[in-house]
Amino acid sequence: MLILKAISLGPLHGYGVLLRIQQISGERLKIEQGSLYPALYRLEAQGWIAGDWGESENNRRAKYYRLTAAGKKRLEAETTKWNEMADVIAGILAAARGQA
Amino acid sequence: MTWLRRLRSSIRSVVHRRDFEQQMNDELRFHIESYVEDLVRGGMPREQAVRQARIEFGALEAKKEDCRSSVGLRLWEELRSDVRYSVRLFRKSPGFAVVAITTLALGIGANTAIFSLIDAVMLRLLPVQKPQELYTLMVDEEPRHWINDTFTNTLWESLRDRQDVFSSMLAWNGPEEFDLAQGGAVQNVGGLFVSGGYFTTLGIAPAAGRLFSAADDQRGCAPLAVLSYGFWQSHFGGAPSAIGSSVSLRGHPFQIIGVVPSRFHGIAVGKDFDIAIPLCASAPFDARNLDSRGRWWLAVIGRLKPGIAFDQLKARLEVLSKPVMTDGMPPDNPAEQRHFLATKLVAVPVSQGPSHLRENFGRPLTILMLMVALVLLIACANITSLMLAKNTMRAKEIAIRKALGATRPRIVRQLVTESVLLSLLGAGIGVFFARWGSAVIVRNLSTGRDPVFVDVSLNARVLAFTAAAAVLTGIVMGVLPAMRSSGIALIEAMKANDAAGGGLPSRFKLGRWIVAGQVALSLVLLIGGGLLVRTFVKLLQTDFGFDPHHVLVVSAKRPWWAGDDAKIPAEQRTVVYNEIAERLRQLPGVTSVSRSFTEPMGDDNWGDGIQPDTASHTLPDQIWFNFVTPEYFATMRTPVFAGRNFSNDDTRASPPVAVISESLARRMFAGVNPIGRRLRRSDYHGPQAWLTIVGVVKDSKYLNVQEETQLIVFAPVAQAFEGVEADDFELRTAVAPETLISPALVTVEKVSPGLSLTFRTIAERVDDDLAQQRLMATLAGFFGGLALVLAMIGLYGVISYTVTQRKVEFGIRMALGAQPDSILRLVMRDVALVLAIGILAGLVVSLASVRILQQMLFGLAARDPITIVVSAALLTATALVAGYLPARRASRVNPLAALRYE
Repeated sequence: MLILKAISLGPLHGYGVLLRIQQISGERLKIEQGSLYPALYRLEAQGWIAGDWGESENNRRAKYYRLTAAGKKRLEAETTKWNEMADVIAGILAAARGQA
Repeated sequence: MTWLRRLRSSIRSVVHRRDFEQQMNDELRFHIESYVEDLVRGGMPREQAVRQARIEFGALEAKKEDCRSSVGLRLWEELRSDVRYSVRLFRKSPGFAVVAITTLALGIGANTAIFSLIDAVMLRLLPVQKPQELYTLMVDEEPRHWINDTFTNTLWESLRDRQDVFSSMLAWNGPEEFDLAQGGAVQNVGGLFVSGGYFTTLGIAPAAGRLFSAADDQRGCAPLAVLSYGFWQSHFGGAPSAIGSSVSLRGHPFQIIGVVPSRFHGIAVGKDFDIAIPLCASAPFDARNLDSRGRWWLAVIGRLKPGIAFDQLKARLEVLSKPVMTDGMPPDNPAEQRHFLATKLVAVPVSQGPSHLRENFGRPLTILMLMVALVLLIACANITSLMLAKNTMRAKEIAIRKALGATRPRIVRQLVTESVLLSLLGAGIGVFFARWGSAVIVRNLSTGRDPVFVDVSLNARVLAFTAAAAVLTGIVMGVLPAMRSSGIALIEAMKANDAAGGGLPSRFKLGRWIVAGQVALSLVLLIGGGLLVRTFVKLLQTDFGFDPHHVLVVSAKRPWWAGDDAKIPAEQRTVVYNEIAERLRQLPGVTSVSRSFTEPMGDDNWGDGIQPDTASHTLPDQIWFNFVTPEYFATMRTPVFAGRNFSNDDTRASPPVAVISESLARRMFAGVNPIGRRLRRSDYHGPQAWLTIVGVVKDSKYLNVQEETQLIVFAPVAQAFEGVEADDFELRTAVAPETLISPALVTVEKVSPGLSLTFRTIAERVDDDLAQQRLMATLAGFFGGLALVLAMIGLYGVISYTVTQRKVEFGIRMALGAQPDSILRLVMRDVALVLAIGILAGLVVSLASVRILQQMLFGLAARDPITIVVSAALLTATALVAGYLPARRASRVNPLAALRYE
């Protein structure tokens, strides 16, 4: 979900995804480098992101990923589900004594 | 549908493996280098940055493996290694592999053979353009709803010209036999009469030359011909010079203008043709073909215009009925005209082609398919048992794999891959067996009178069926042993000693249940096969009412479309035929000669309603008629039971007489003496003259061997009705009838040269008639026997195995004083139990399902007790023998040797 969100803000190559997630989480979240690419490949195989080869900032060949239409829908669905679940859990945790 | 997308991407990565690897490498390298750049920019020395980046990324190869796995490559890798491993295992135990593959080849091959027949006869669409758009036209005479699927030429032309719902239409007739010879013994080839639009409507392009067009089918046309590809090859060697050359059909020359492609065999499924000629060219044979309003001979098919729904078609045809029928009705017959005006045009989709083959063979083929599927099941069960036994030896290997981290699904997948591989290998071989088998079956379905042509070459659908059958068989075979083996408990397996062969506890009850199932299935097949075999035997032994052996039929019959034979003018025909009969009688080896309109199981028949001179009767609408000379009954050896035979005094001038079959006498007059009573024929035009009954003969077969009731009226040839020609000569011979064919030919030529003759024996006709039953009996008997053998092998295998497993136990028993006999009895008790359960289950299934055979039986009820008892007894006897052999081995166990084993 986080990868999809990162890519939704603009096409990125793998390293760029890593950096962006770190950046928008305010350096609070660091993704383990090794598990990034298997996840990217899985998302591509499922059709939610699409990869094209292009030129990076320093003119080297890199594979850029962008969000597909199906991927956008999937991101929205997952975000909604997450927010709902967070709501539910928050509600439980906020239960004051005597509300049981 | 994400799994579908994943499957697709997985396949893509496999296909473009090298690209994938290259790209993955590039990507990961870029990543690490970017990180290194960032670190260096932050001040770290390059060497350290590189090391840091690599460490943070993690083990490269492991991550690459993860990437491969997430893209679906792992699956493919695992499959490849499973297959390689299976092949290695097969090499190690080649005996098992060979037995399994051979069994599967036969089983799957037999299934494929029958399925390719079913595909050709029942499933395949016509090899023409867009067959779904084709509809066959018929006439429905209300209110009796007599549906006729042929038209007269006048009706066809009227329909073709008036209609506006079909983009094009065709009319045809066939297959007919065209005689290439010019007199003497007939040399028939398959022929079709086709309208000018036949080939264009079907969308057939010529393989050579050109095909008919509308211009070729006008009145007074030139006689042209189109050849089939096969005939072009066989008769003309495929030479281009054939086009433009001439061929003689029934003495009339036709010019060949083209050849159809090899895959086109006409519209009727199961039939082929050699030569096609236009409808207009039938006029030289008999002008009545085109002009007679009573000659219904054309089948009509139309290609529906796109955009018109079936309901619209129906409605339009109803509206068109009156004008078309009015065009085609006979101008001077008010009764007929009323019939015509009451007739409606109807259409039926015909994308698969009209097929009498489908009606006749649909059910037998389905039954064969069921039988052969059951045989395959029994064979699979054998292999499953074998695998179960073998896998107990592999307990250690599987335990080690589990200890190394293999999951149960992974192990099951590998074991099932083994059995699917066996199946696929077996299926590959089986396909060749299937081609041979289906060709043999089709050859046996063909009879002299009614050749069957079925194109059983493999097509996509048949191959897909074979592949699916193989995979399914593999999974069914392998799942049970796989589930069993993968559920092994680690410690037990490692601890087990080698004595019991790798150590699974040898309860193996499962094996005995499998054998019980096999016994049940083979009982079902034995009963089915037994019924079909007995049906055939009963047909062979049935009383024909005449002596079918040693009778040669010499026929001067002309096809209905061939018009008057100019060779013998009508007035002289009787004289000439009598002389021919006289000369034939004088041939050495001929005992007696007669002449008739038709002979038993002949090509012709005549049926009409009759009315006895009593007030009421319970006769069916149609009684058979035959017209015979006085020598007929003596020649055919049909006894005359009462009254007299015809004599030469029964002429056209004397009172009309008839001789009837005994069943007819009983039906008409119920016990009263029929001699002297009268009957009259009533046909389309109403009642005809009264005939006096002068004799009663034994019932004899008229149409085919299976018919149960024979209600026949015989009348003298001299008093035959209008339109009846008695041109079949029956020769009763003292020697083999075939030897008299050329003497007969020579004799007839001397009297009337140029007469076209066909020769056949009654014995051949009987054989032909029973061809289907013979085929079913042979195949069903074969499958029943095969099932029995397979089940017995299974039984033997399982009992043998349990005896080996229990060797120690037997040793102990004998050491403690048990007699060999009691060991024998112990094992046989097992056998008896398996047998009892199997037979019981088999009986239940048989009794419930055997009704589907009823239509194919003769003289037998489906639940015939004799067949059931004999089948069960046969099964029991062979099972007891199969079980006795290992039991005897058990009782001969040397207690010392057995105990020392442990």
